[in-house]
Amino acid sequence: MKKILASVAATAVLVAGAASAQDYPNEAITLVIPYGPGGASDLAGRALAESAGKFLDEPITVVNKPGAGGMNGARFVSQADADGYTLLLARVGMALSPAVNPQVKTGWDEYTFVGSLEATPMILAVKSDSPYDNVEELMAAIKDDPGVMTYAASGATAIDGFTVQSLLSDAGLDPLNGATIVPYKGGGALATALLGGHVDFLAISAGSLMPHIESGDMKPLAVFSPERMDDLPKVPTVGELGYETAGQITGWSALYGPKGLPDSVQAKWDEVLDEVAEDETWLTLAERRGSISTVGEKDMSAYAKSQYELFRGLADEFGYLGN
Amino acid sequence: MLNELMTALHAVATIQNFLIIAAGIWGGVIIGAIPGMTGTMAVTLALPFTFYMDPVPSILLLVALYKGSTYGGSVSAILIKTPGTASAACTALDGYPLAQQGKAGKALNMALYSSVVGDFISNISLIFLAAPLALLALKVGPPEYFMLMVFALTTVAGVSGNSLLMGFVSACLGLLLATAGEDMYGSFRFAFTDDMQAGLSVAPVLIGLFALPELIKLIVFRNPPKARMMEIGDDRVSGREFRSVAKSLFRGSFIGVLLGAIPGIGPSAAAFFSYGSAQRASPRAANFGKGEIEGVAASESANNGACGATMIPLLALGVPGDVITGVMLGAFMIQGLTPGPLLFETNIHEVYMLFIGMLLSSVLLLFAGKFTMRIFTTIAKIPPTLLSPVVLLLCLFGIYAIGNSMFDVVVLLALGVVGFGMFLLDIPTAPFLIAFILGPMIEENLRRALATSRGDPTVLISSPITWIFAALILFVIALTARREIGKANQRKADAK
Amino acid sequence: MTSIALRGLGIALFFGIVLGVLIPGYVPKPAFIPGFALPPDFWPRVIAIAGLLFSLIAAGLGFAGQGTPVLPSEVADDDTPKRVLLFRFGALVAALIAFVLLTDVIGFLGAAMLLTGAAIMLTGERRLLAWGAGLALILPVGLYVFFTEALGTQFPPGLLFN
Repeated sequence: MKKILASVAATAVLVAGAASAQDYPNEAITLVIPYGPGGASDLAGRALAESAGKFLDEPITVVNKPGAGGMNGARFVSQADADGYTLLLARVGMALSPAVNPQVKTGWDEYTFVGSLEATPMILAVKSDSPYDNVEELMAAIKDDPGVMTYAASGATAIDGFTVQSLLSDAGLDPLNGATIVPYKGGGALATALLGGHVDFLAISAGSLMPHIESGDMKPLAVFSPERMDDLPKVPTVGELGYETAGQITGWSALYGPKGLPDSVQAKWDEVLDEVAEDETWLTLAERRGSISTVGEKDMSAYAKSQYELFRGLADEFGYLGN
Repeated sequence: MLNELMTALHAVATIQNFLIIAAGIWGGVIIGAIPGMTGTMAVTLALPFTFYMDPVPSILLLVALYKGSTYGGSVSAILIKTPGTASAACTALDGYPLAQQGKAGKALNMALYSSVVGDFISNISLIFLAAPLALLALKVGPPEYFMLMVFALTTVAGVSGNSLLMGFVSACLGLLLATAGEDMYGSFRFAFTDDMQAGLSVAPVLIGLFALPELIKLIVFRNPPKARMMEIGDDRVSGREFRSVAKSLFRGSFIGVLLGAIPGIGPSAAAFFSYGSAQRASPRAANFGKGEIEGVAASESANNGACGATMIPLLALGVPGDVITGVMLGAFMIQGLTPGPLLFETNIHEVYMLFIGMLLSSVLLLFAGKFTMRIFTTIAKIPPTLLSPVVLLLCLFGIYAIGNSMFDVVVLLALGVVGFGMFLLDIPTAPFLIAFILGPMIEENLRRALATSRGDPTVLISSPITWIFAALILFVIALTARREIGKANQRKADAK
Repeated sequence: MTSIALRGLGIALFFGIVLGVLIPGYVPKPAFIPGFALPPDFWPRVIAIAGLLFSLIAAGLGFAGQGTPVLPSEVADDDTPKRVLLFRFGALVAALIAFVLLTDVIGFLGAAMLLTGAAIMLTGERRLLAWGAGLALILPVGLYVFFTEALGTQFPPGLLFN
C-alpha cells in the first residue's frame, strides 16, 4: 500500500512538474532587487520587468529586498524554490561580497546563471574646481601625503570601494591607508559628499555621476569599463592608462535564479532575453541609466566565476581575509 | 519669467493633471492612514504607472502621494495610536491622548491645518529659495550633520514622561537596537541569524512599539478606552487656539523646510526636532504628551514642511535625500529628465509646471484631508475589542508586504511584546523610537567626521554651524538639568 | 521602593550582558577597516556603557527611596487576580508564536485568520461574535487579494496548499 501511495505521489509530482514547466510562466514572476528603490539596480530591474514582461505572457513583479550590502535579497532568492517564479537582479556584489567578506555565507555560485544584462561603468571623478586633471596627478598627490586624501564609497568591501583600492594598489600605494575611505550609503549620498567638498574624490557607478558631469560640477578622470563610454569619448579607461587590476573592475547586472532551475525555464528565458536584447524600451532605458546592454553576450557563469576569483585574489592581496 | 509662468500654468491646468494630483493626494492620505502601509510603499507602487505618463504629471503624482501619505500618517496616529509613518510618531504622543479626551476631531483638524500650512510654506521655499537652500545644504558635512542630529536627539528629554532617567535608558535601548545589521564599513553587527544581517527596519519597530502594546493592554487588562473616545465631539479648532499654537506651527514649518533641504534627514527627524523645540518654548510645556494641541501642530507642520523641501536638493543639485526622492530621481531619469542645476536651464518650462502643480496639491491636501477624516472618524465607532485585532491584522499584512519578509513580521510582534514590557516597567517608548531613527545618522556621521580628520575630535567643532549646534545642545542640557533640580526640590518640599 | 531598584538592576544586567558577552561575541572587527577609523564596536560600547550608568543610577535612587513609582495606574487600579492577567498575557504570546509557526504550515492567510479570531476572543468580546467571525474570515481574504493583486506580494502559501 505504502509503495503504491509513494509511486502515485511520485507520478503526481512528475506530472505537476512537467505541466508547470511546459506552461512556464503561468503566474506572475517575482524579480527581487537586492537594493533599495530608486537606485541604479532598482531602475535596471524595473526596466527588465517592463521589457521582458512584454515577451512573457505573465507580468513580472519587482520586489525590493535591501540590506546586508545586497546579500539579503540574494540569499532570499538562492533559498527560494527553483521553479522560475523567483528570480534575482544580480549585481557585481553577488560575486564580490562572498569573495571579500568572511561573514557572507551565500556563495557566488549558489545560483542558476540565467543570463547577463548590462555593464554599468564606474567613473573616477573629482570636483570641477579640484587641481587634479588626470589620474596620474591624483595618484601623485596621494603618494605625497598618504592618508590625507579622502574618498567616498559604500564601504570598504563594496564595489565602489574596490575601484579606488585597486587603483591605489596598481599605483604602488597601500590600498587601505593610502587614501582614507569615508563610507556613505547610496549613490545620491556619495555624489553629495563630493559635491559638498566633504571628500576629495570617488569612483562610483556612472548613473549617479553623469548628471553632475554634464552640469560641469564634477570632472571625470577615468572610467572603470572595458571600453570608453559613448557619452564621455575623451575620458580614458583605467585599463588604457595601464592600471591592470583596476582595468578588470566594472559594474554589471545579470539575471540569476535559485540553483537548479529547470531547463525549460532556462530555455524560455533564453528566448525572452534574445528579444529583450533588441527591445527599444530596454535599450533606451539602459542608455538613460548610463549603462551598456550586454543581454545574452557573456557566458554568465564563467564571467561570475572570473569576477569572484579576481576579487578573492584582491582581498587576499589586500589582507582583508585575515583573522 | 511671467510669460513662462503663464505658459506653464496653461500647460499644467488640465483636467487630467488635476485628477492625477487629486488621486495622488487622496490615495496617499488613505495609504498613509492605514496602519502598516507607508509612503514609500505608495510611491514605489505608483512608479510603474509613471512609465506611461508625461514627465510632469508623473512626478506630480509621486509628490502628491508623498505629501498625502505624510499627512495621512497622522490620522491613524491620532485615532488608534498607530503612526502610519515614522514622521507621525510625535503626533501620536499628543494626538492620541486628545482622542481619548474626546477631542479626536480637534486633533485631526489641527494636524490637517498644520500639514497644509507646512506644505504650503515648503512649496514656496522650494520655488523661491531652492538655490540658496541647496548651497547651504551642501555645506552640511559629517561634523555639522552629527551636531544637528545630536541636537535633535535632545528631544528625548521632552518625551520621557515622568522619569528623565528612564527616558535616557529607553533612548539607549533604541540606539543599541539600531546598531544591529550592516556596519557602514561592510561587516555585520549582532547578526545572530542570517536575517539580522540586514538589521531591523523602521516600520515594524515603529508599529510594534506604538500600536501593538495597546492591543496587549486591552487583552490583558480588558479595560477598553473610555466610551467618550467614541465620539468625535469637540472638533473645531477655534481662532484662539490657532493663534496660541501659531508660533510652534510656523517654527515647525521652517524647521521642516531647513531640515528637509539637507539630503538624508527627512520628515521624521524634522518632526522630532520641531516637537522638542515647541515643547521647550511653550508656556504649556508640562501639558505636552498629555494631549497638547500645540504638540500636534509642531510635529505635523514640520513633517509636511520637510516634504516639499526634500525636492530642493533633488531639483537643484540632482541628489535625492531619502528613499522617496530616490524613487523620484529614478522617475525623472526614466522620463529622460536630469534633475540638477541644468534642469533649470534646459527644462524651465517643466520646472514651472511642477511648481504650479505642487502649489495646487497643497490646496487639494486640505480637501482630501477633510474628506478622509470623515471616513476615518467612523472607525472610532467600532468597538475597541474588534478594532484592535483588525489593526493587528492590517499591520501583519502591511509589514509583510513592505519587504516580502516574515522576519519583519517577527520583529513587529516581538517589539509589541517589548513595548508592553516597557509599559509595565514605566519606561517611555517614544525616546526609544526617536533614538532608533536618529541613532544611525549620529553614529555614521561621527565616524565619517573622524575618518576625514583621521581621529582628531576637534573636527566636530570646526565650523560656525557646528558651534551654533554645540551651543544649543549645551543650552538644552542646562535647561533640562535646571528643570530636573527644580522638580527634585519640589518633591522634597512636598515630602516635608 | 524596591521595585524601582530591581527594575534598575534588571536593565543594568541587560546592558552588562550586551557589553560583556554580545559585543565581544557578535561585533567582529574585520581586517578591511583602516586602523585609525572608529571600529564597529565603538558606538555599541558607548551606548551600552551609558545605558549601564543610567540604569545603575536608577537602581541607586530606588535603594535611596527616591524615584517615581513603577507600576502604571492601569495596573495599580486593576483588581483582577495576577494569575488571570498572566494567563491572558501568556495566551496572547502563545497565539503570536503560533501565528509565526503556522505560516509555514497553513500559510499566511490561514494563520492570519486564526490569529485575528484568537485576538478577538482574547479581548473578551462575546456579544459581537458574529461580527468578529465575519471580520476574521473576510478581511484577511480582502487584504490578501489586495496585496497579491496590487503589489504582487507573495505570501507564504504554507505546506498544505503548496
